[in-house]
Amino acid sequence: MKKTINIPLGSQHISLLEPVRFKFECENEKIVGVDSDVGFVHRGIEKACTTKFKYDGIGYVVARVCGLCAITHSLSYTVAIEELLNIEVTSKAKYLRILLLELDRIHSHMLCLSHTCENAGFEAMFMRIMGDRELIMEIQELLTGNRIQFDYINIGGVNRDINLEVATKIVNNLDRVKEKVMGYVDEFTNNWSLSLKFKRIGALSLDDAYKFNAIGPLARASGLNIDVRNEIKYLPYHEIGFKMQTHIDGDINARNIVRLNEILNSIEMCDNILAGIPEGEIQTKYKGKPNGESVVRFEAPRGELMYYVKANGTAMLERVRIKTPTFASIPAFSHIFMGENYADAPAILASFDPCLSCTAK
Amino acid sequence: MFTSFFKAFTNLFRKPQTIDYPLTPIPKDKDYRGLIEYREESCIYCLKCEKACPPGAILFVKSDNPSQNEKNKKGLVYNYNPYLCIYCSECVRACPKPDEALWQSNKKPEIAIKSDNVNSKWFELEKLK
Amino acid sequence: MKKIKVTLLDIVEEIKSFYDYKKWHFLTINGVALQDNMLEVQWIFSKYETLEEIVIFYVEIQYEDIIPSIVNIIPSAIISQRELVDMFGVEVEGSAKGLYLDKDSIQMPLRGCLL
Repeated sequence: MKKTINIPLGSQHISLLEPVRFKFECENEKIVGVDSDVGFVHRGIEKACTTKFKYDGIGYVVARVCGLCAITHSLSYTVAIEELLNIEVTSKAKYLRILLLELDRIHSHMLCLSHTCENAGFEAMFMRIMGDRELIMEIQELLTGNRIQFDYINIGGVNRDINLEVATKIVNNLDRVKEKVMGYVDEFTNNWSLSLKFKRIGALSLDDAYKFNAIGPLARASGLNIDVRNEIKYLPYHEIGFKMQTHIDGDINARNIVRLNEILNSIEMCDNILAGIPEGEIQTKYKGKPNGESVVRFEAPRGELMYYVKANGTAMLERVRIKTPTFASIPAFSHIFMGENYADAPAILASFDPCLSCTAK
Repeated sequence: MFTSFFKAFTNLFRKPQTIDYPLTPIPKDKDYRGLIEYREESCIYCLKCEKACPPGAILFVKSDNPSQNEKNKKGLVYNYNPYLCIYCSECVRACPKPDEALWQSNKKPEIAIKSDNVNSKWFELEKLK
Repeated sequence: MKKIKVTLLDIVEEIKSFYDYKKWHFLTINGVALQDNMLEVQWIFSKYETLEEIVIFYVEIQYEDIIPSIVNIIPSAIISQRELVDMFGVEVEGSAKGLYLDKDSIQMPLRGCLL
């Protein structure tokens, strides 16, 4: 008869940023069963959106679902409302939205990479990446006035204009970050503790990625061509040089490489935006109350984010449904843990870049 | 390995990346988002800022000794809670006279302690509304 | 966005004949509270590598009805089903309560009757 032992990971654990509990059923060192509990930080934001706030303030409420992808949340909600009100946003506002979206992606990926390093026991690299991430935070603060909660997007446009001084600073800082990211690519491919150690650990095959509806860098590392930036028309991603980054291995190393390539692609896109930012207004006037329902998807740093908004012609909305990337990937996470060693679990978990405050909303 | 050894050695003589905070002040840009400031004389009491504020950090409540502004027919007094404010500057955009009556500065709010009773004072004001 | 109305009895068959796991990406299950104690349950899909193609299957049910599970067809639907159970207090085959809410917290917050 086989004997198994239950070992929990979390809800407070040294390798975790946020509370989540995994209950691993282990047979010796191998994980044979996974149970997860993700609801520790449930705040009832969906309920608050339909009872406490009017539709024009909800953009700021949903930005507080998650600190790292705040901009994607408020953008998705805003685009959903703009669709219902038939607002056409000026092209300058669209480019500024992409600019901040990509800056946000760069800093979020850097945070994830630094935590992967920390979980591999490479503290110096963790410090280095976190230090370099400050360059991105600095330009985000210059552009929006805040480091984390940008509150940059409102219905009909963006809140602040960009000026030449800020644009030059962004270009300079992005150049410096690009140089540093090149250095990381070297470390993540050649350094033993970051590359070889991670090969074939926590692998997800392409077929399983399809079956479990994996999204974001997790799916792209397995070779699945899913990137919402490729599938939407609200933002002109194809004009600014978006390239899908995929890998075939599907292991932790592949995820890191995909993230690094995405940072490089994002830097390239930001440079292209700043080189050709059009003239014009940043705000469109609008009238009326939203009516009807709309589904909007965007690519958050961790994957696909979906907003479903239903309105009935009054200032209060009927339903706001937020489907966050980590929430949708939990079945895939549980599948990946099967058959791995328990000792690898923290490293695998960090490579998913889980965002639990998104998940529990 | 040699390069990393060399790097580690030079790191000994490099300055830290962090700011020596109490001695050196944190760099502050003039556009950073901070407190909302208000000038009573220029206000026309349209109450647009109060309606626009997402968290409800601006309240106009009736007072016994209102200001001498002739636009203020209902005897209202402006109240602002910096601890509730999210500094999104929706109010400034809604204001018909931005930069004169209502504008955003780059100042920080003072740190409130328990004995200041900021919350209970604000709840009293909300009841008056 | 295409909306297809189905009945509760057919939903599993409909999704089974529609869903090709290499073509369609399953987004989520969504519930919307309607008037008169009715609930609209939506199964939302999008097509891979296609611009803006979203298909929604929906049923309108009473809160007492038991919703069939689609986990056999789409394994990742389990998490959305558990959320639906918690948020609306409906019964979905084989989905346990308690993903977000504890036993002592407010139950079925999104039904619309609580304020």
